[in-house]
Amino acid sequence: MTKFADQYAIVGLGSVIGPHPEVSGRAMQAEAARLAIEDAGLVPSDIDGALDLKRQGGGGDRPGYTDSFARMLGLPVNFYYSIGRGGSIAGLGIATALGFLQAGLAKYVVCSNFVEDWSNSRKTRAEGKIGMAHTPRRGHYGTPFGDLRAVSHHSFFASRHMHEYGTTSEQLGAIAVAQRQWACMNPDARMYGRPITIEDHQASEMVVDPYHLLDLCQVSDGAVSFVLTTADRAEDTRSPVYLKGIGFGEAMASLWWEKRNYTELAVKPAKEAAFAHAGIELADIGHAQLYDCFTGEVLFQLEDYGWAEKGAGGEFVASGATAPGGSIPVNTSGGLLSAYHFGDLTGTLEAVTQLRKEAGDRQVDANYSLVSGHGGEILSPGMCSIHSTLIFGTKE
Amino acid sequence: MNETKPNTLLRRSAPNTDRDIQPFWDNVANRQLSVMRCKTCGAYYWPASYCRNHDNEPFLGNMEWVPASGKGTVFAFNVHHWAFDAALKEQVPYVYALIELEEGPLIGSNVIDCDPSEVRVGLAVEVTFREFAAADGDVFTLHQFVPAGTQSTAS
Repeated sequence: MTKFADQYAIVGLGSVIGPHPEVSGRAMQAEAARLAIEDAGLVPSDIDGALDLKRQGGGGDRPGYTDSFARMLGLPVNFYYSIGRGGSIAGLGIATALGFLQAGLAKYVVCSNFVEDWSNSRKTRAEGKIGMAHTPRRGHYGTPFGDLRAVSHHSFFASRHMHEYGTTSEQLGAIAVAQRQWACMNPDARMYGRPITIEDHQASEMVVDPYHLLDLCQVSDGAVSFVLTTADRAEDTRSPVYLKGIGFGEAMASLWWEKRNYTELAVKPAKEAAFAHAGIELADIGHAQLYDCFTGEVLFQLEDYGWAEKGAGGEFVASGATAPGGSIPVNTSGGLLSAYHFGDLTGTLEAVTQLRKEAGDRQVDANYSLVSGHGGEILSPGMCSIHSTLIFGTKE
Repeated sequence: MNETKPNTLLRRSAPNTDRDIQPFWDNVANRQLSVMRCKTCGAYYWPASYCRNHDNEPFLGNMEWVPASGKGTVFAFNVHHWAFDAALKEQVPYVYALIELEEGPLIGSNVIDCDPSEVRVGLAVEVTFREFAAADGDVFTLHQFVPAGTQSTAS
C-alpha cells in the first residue's frame, strides 16, 4: 500500500484580504483563484475541477444561484459545486478533491471561498442588529430564547469548562493576547499594530458572559484559494506543500449523546486518522492553526490533541506556550481572533505560507503544521459539530 | 393571560418549527413541557430521535411525546449583555441556559425571575410558561425556568 503522506500537495495559494466594495464577493473569489493558479505556475486551462468552499449550515450562507467564480474565471472544468459545513470548509474541500484526484477525474482542483461578513454586518447594523445578522438560521430551536449569534451558544463551551475544571476568564484572555502578539507580526491581520494585554481583555465589554469582546473572532471580508494536485504533478512547481494527513470526527457520534460536547471537541478520531496518515507524533507538529471562532475552542483543542492535560489548558495558555517563543506556536497569523475569519482557510493559508517560509517577521520554521476546522448544527441543547484535522508538511 | 395585549409582552422570535418538533410546541402552547420517550425501552430524548438502544419501527413509530416533570438543573448557562437585535434591548441582561431535565435530555431555555448573578451550573430549576410577542404581533408561549421552589402559584 502506498503511504498516504506526500501523495497530494497544495501547489498554489491566492488570497484577497479585506473589503473590495468595487466588486462582488464572487469576483473576489475568482480573483483569489486566479492568483492561486498563477502562483502554481499554471494557466486557467490546466484546471479541470473547481470547488466552492462555503459555510452551508451552522450559521452559514445559503447556496447561490446566480453565478459561480469558476464560470466567471473561464475555467474549463469537468465539475464545480459547493461544499462545507460551518467553518470546516478547507478540510471537507480537500477530502472531496482527493476523491477526484484519486479516481483520475481531475489533475488540478482549485478550491476557493469568499466571505463578505464585515460588509454585510455593516448593513444590518443600521437596522439595530449587531454582528452576523445576515446569515439565516432557519429551524434553529434556540432563537426564541435569545440565541441570536454564534457567541450565544459558543459561550456554553466556556461556561461548562469553567465549571468542570475551574478555568478562568483571565486564562482565556491569555489565548487572545498570544494571538494578538502573532497578529502584530502579520501586516495583513485586521488587528496588526494593536497589541493587547490581559487587562485589556478583562476590561473589554462583556458581550455574553463569560465571553468578553476580546474572546470573539473577527468578522471579515475576503477570499482564499488553493490548487490541489497529485505529487507527480507537484514536483515541478515552485513550492509545493504536501498533505501529510487528513481526518474527521463528529460530535454526534458519541459526545453529543453523552453531554460531553461542551467540554470536548470531536478531535479524537480526526487526530488518529490524520496522524496515522502522516506517520508522525504530536511533538513533530511545529505550529498549529487551530479553529478559533472563540478563545474556548483553542483551549479545548490544546487539551483534546494532547498538548495539555484535559482540564489543564488554562494553565498551559497562561504560561505563554502558544505565544511567540512558546513551545507550540498557535495561530501564527493571528487567527480568526485577531487576523481574519475565512473558516479553516485562515489556518490553511497560514500553514502553507509558513511551510513555504514566506511568513516574514512571524516565520516559525517547522516540518509540519496542523490545521483544524469546526462547524455544525446548533440544536440549542448543544452544538453538533464536525472536527477536521489537516496535517501539512514539506517533503521528507 | 389570553387577553394580554401583545404590546405589553416582551418581543422574541416565534419558535422555528418543523414537522418533527411541532407536537412539542403544541404542548408548550398548552403550558406543558414534553420529551420524547421510547415505548419499547422507556429511554427519553429531546429533540426528536430514533431510539439508540435497539431497532426502531418505521418513522419513529416506537417514539412518543410524553409530559416531562418540568424539573431539572442548569447544565451550562450564559448571560447576554449585548442585545444583538434592538427588539431585545429592554431584556438584557438575560440568562440563556441548557437545562438538564430530570428525564435526562438537555433543552435550551431562559432562567428568569432571579438575578443573573444567582445562576450557577447545577442550580435546581423548574419549568414555567410565559407569553411573548413576535414582531408581527403574534402571541406565543415559551417554556422558561425559574429557581426551584420560588414559583408563585399565580404564575
